[in-house]
Amino acid sequence: MTDQVLPTALRYPWRVPLPHSRRGRTLVAIRVAALLALIAIAAATPGFFTAVSLFSLLNTTSFIGCVAVGMTFITLSGNIMSFALSVTLSTSGIVFMAVLPWGLPIAFLVALAFGAGLTGIQGVAVGYFRANPVIVSMAALALITGGATLITQGQGVYPQGDAAAALKGRLLGIPMPLAAFILTVVLAQIVLSFTRFGRQLYMVGSNWRAALAAGLDPARIVLGAYIVAGLCTALAGILMAARYSSGDLELGLGYDYSAISAVLVGGTAISGGEGSAIRSLVGAFLIAVCQVLLLLHGFSTQIQYLAIGVIVLFVIMLQTLADAD
Amino acid sequence: MAKKSGVNVTAAYTAEAVPLVARDAAADRDEPGGNVASAVAVRHLSKSFGPIAALKDVSLDIGSGEIRGICGENGAGKSTLVKILTGVYRPDAGNVLIGGAAVSVATPRQAQELGIAIVAQELSLCPDLSVEDNIWLGSLHVPFLHKRPDLRRRAAEALALLGAGHIDLDTPVTNLSMGERQLVEIARLLTRDARVLILDEPTATLTDIEIERIFAALLAVKREGRSVVYITHRLAEVYAICDRVSVLRNGELVTTTSLKGLDRSALIELMLGRPSDEMYPEEARARGAPALVVEGMSLPGIVNDFSMKVHRGEILCIAGQVGSGAAEIVAALAGLVHDAGGRVTVNGRPLKLGSSVRAAQRGIMFVSGDRAAEGVFRRLSVLQNLVATRLRDHSLLGFLRGGALRKAAAHLAARVGIDRRRLNARAEELSGGNQQKLAFGRSIERQAGAILLMNEPTRGIDVGARAEIYRLMRGFCEDGYALVMASSDLEEIVGVGDVVITLYRGRRIGHYRRSEVSMHRIVADITHPRETTP
Repeated sequence: MTDQVLPTALRYPWRVPLPHSRRGRTLVAIRVAALLALIAIAAATPGFFTAVSLFSLLNTTSFIGCVAVGMTFITLSGNIMSFALSVTLSTSGIVFMAVLPWGLPIAFLVALAFGAGLTGIQGVAVGYFRANPVIVSMAALALITGGATLITQGQGVYPQGDAAAALKGRLLGIPMPLAAFILTVVLAQIVLSFTRFGRQLYMVGSNWRAALAAGLDPARIVLGAYIVAGLCTALAGILMAARYSSGDLELGLGYDYSAISAVLVGGTAISGGEGSAIRSLVGAFLIAVCQVLLLLHGFSTQIQYLAIGVIVLFVIMLQTLADAD
Repeated sequence: MAKKSGVNVTAAYTAEAVPLVARDAAADRDEPGGNVASAVAVRHLSKSFGPIAALKDVSLDIGSGEIRGICGENGAGKSTLVKILTGVYRPDAGNVLIGGAAVSVATPRQAQELGIAIVAQELSLCPDLSVEDNIWLGSLHVPFLHKRPDLRRRAAEALALLGAGHIDLDTPVTNLSMGERQLVEIARLLTRDARVLILDEPTATLTDIEIERIFAALLAVKREGRSVVYITHRLAEVYAICDRVSVLRNGELVTTTSLKGLDRSALIELMLGRPSDEMYPEEARARGAPALVVEGMSLPGIVNDFSMKVHRGEILCIAGQVGSGAAEIVAALAGLVHDAGGRVTVNGRPLKLGSSVRAAQRGIMFVSGDRAAEGVFRRLSVLQNLVATRLRDHSLLGFLRGGALRKAAAHLAARVGIDRRRLNARAEELSGGNQQKLAFGRSIERQAGAILLMNEPTRGIDVGARAEIYRLMRGFCEDGYALVMASSDLEEIVGVGDVVITLYRGRRIGHYRRSEVSMHRIVADITHPRETTP
């Protein structure tokens, strides 16, 4: 029934359409080989499959993963990425903590609305004014950082009591961050695959001018994508703030880079119009696995950054080669 | 001078299949493999992509000083042949011969060194550099220490040879027209000692006068003893400029023949492998109420005070050269020109221009002439393309109803003649003609009184698919819709327009009903100041 309109990649996840050209096949082979190598290294690493390291892996990935799912919407809409998601995350966390005295549900909703508003303004600039998305996000980064520092005087927000305790527990035995991440991925994927907005997002991302010529309203759809990105990011901000019992501008620092890395490693096209939330989930986990492996082998954080940089570069080059095919 | 070397395109169009160029005797030698030295030849070329054989055992000889037309439908193997000649692809079997000796053309650079050059559409010029710099940029013939005056003289000579001596060597390329840019590109290849020039659909974006200049330049190239391979869908051009024509079909060489005694329908039959159907459909049977009325439309800098009226059931054709404003009028009606002014009435209700969303809500559908950039969603599936504009009809509270969508797509695919087994294929895998059918399928079966706008509906589409598109257009009108198209293809304008409006530099010149229209009149109108043409 409904499965008939799913993208082919979703409907037959086991049937990867092999490209005709030799180069295309070589590229697929490289990806499969890299994946197998990773699994082999993981299996050969003592301590990787212990519950403790897997659990910490899943937990840290969850926050980045939520941001990555939000970023996926921006990337899919053809607007590459936003540099302002990390500050959106931290300021949403601050807002959450500041409003928490009025009660958890209100704080939750206000923080979500705040995050959506921040990215929504960028969405208006990018969608309706056709401003360059990367520049807009850099300006937003500066504006939000400046504004937030001014208001908070650079201080974190540490609320009294433990009103956010519910967000630190478990849901059906799953740690809250992971549960929220999985829920986000599922919801995002449903939106992308089964709603009109999702379908139109793919159209706009794949070809803005064609969408305009077909009578769609691309600006509104891009705005929608930014708002979804803000919601996902604010959710991550809320969970992080709850976990650390504080709202601080340092929360989520560098998450926009980690998120776009996850999106790209997962195989969402940087040019837009192709990809999915599930791919970003896979990308986030792949990167996390790499990080844990490096950690277990005793490499420092600097080396981890280096490795992720190499992986992202590698993935981008593979993607460009495959597109040029 | 112009009369002698130039080819009169106008006449070539009107005098059906009678070439006006005085040909030299060499043109009529027909023997395959010819004893006259061939500039470049291919022997038994084959090339497959996966299971699809793009080229099967093709052998060709292109003589020195010959202009050779290559004809065939999309997918016949023309571009594969060109890519093998220019070193982009390597053949699975067979050889390329130059001066009778087999050579290896493994890379585009090797092809250039062997003197085989393709005239790129404009992309290879740097717009901000001068004409002279562009001509010498990247040339292997410029030594590190060079005499600039010498290079300047040779660049000027090359341009003069092409009849383009008027182009100032110091002008930045961005100031030149498309036709002039192509002449610069050809001059650049001449300075690199190209022996064989390949042109692939060179005239798609040119005005008629520019086309004449390109033809004159090609004849000059020919007189120099160099060869030209000319690929086009516009058969009139084949008759106007080519000595012989090679016809490809499904990757095989059907024949290489002189154009003498080969009339147009015989050539089409060779390309299709079957007798050509009636190319153009019947004229409109019934004329309904006015669907779209335009009064005093202006597009700043492009169009002034343009008016027209289209009735339900009829095809209105705005005829004009590239740059005349015809395409811009159609785009403006689709809401894609933000500063468009004028009074527009759709089915009796006024419409404010400038928003494609508003236009679409009123039943105005637009099929762009630029398929890759504006027409289809290339990365999305055929299914998704077909239902792109009607998601709202098949969704509930924002959620799509998959079964209904698929049914709608299958129905539309059948309606426009796309194999329903291809519904899941990506749009970019389809031929140009089928992509156009997608854009078409997206637009049909709207509310009553819908209006379809099309720009250059068959640009780059081969003869077979073209007739099908025309039939679809007519069928659309018979459902009671109105169709407005802009075109620079004269045959098409005369063939399908129930009403033809001619345009010259943004001004409306003439208005004809089908019974009154003729190519002479249209050509006279759209190239208005006849006296000033060179």
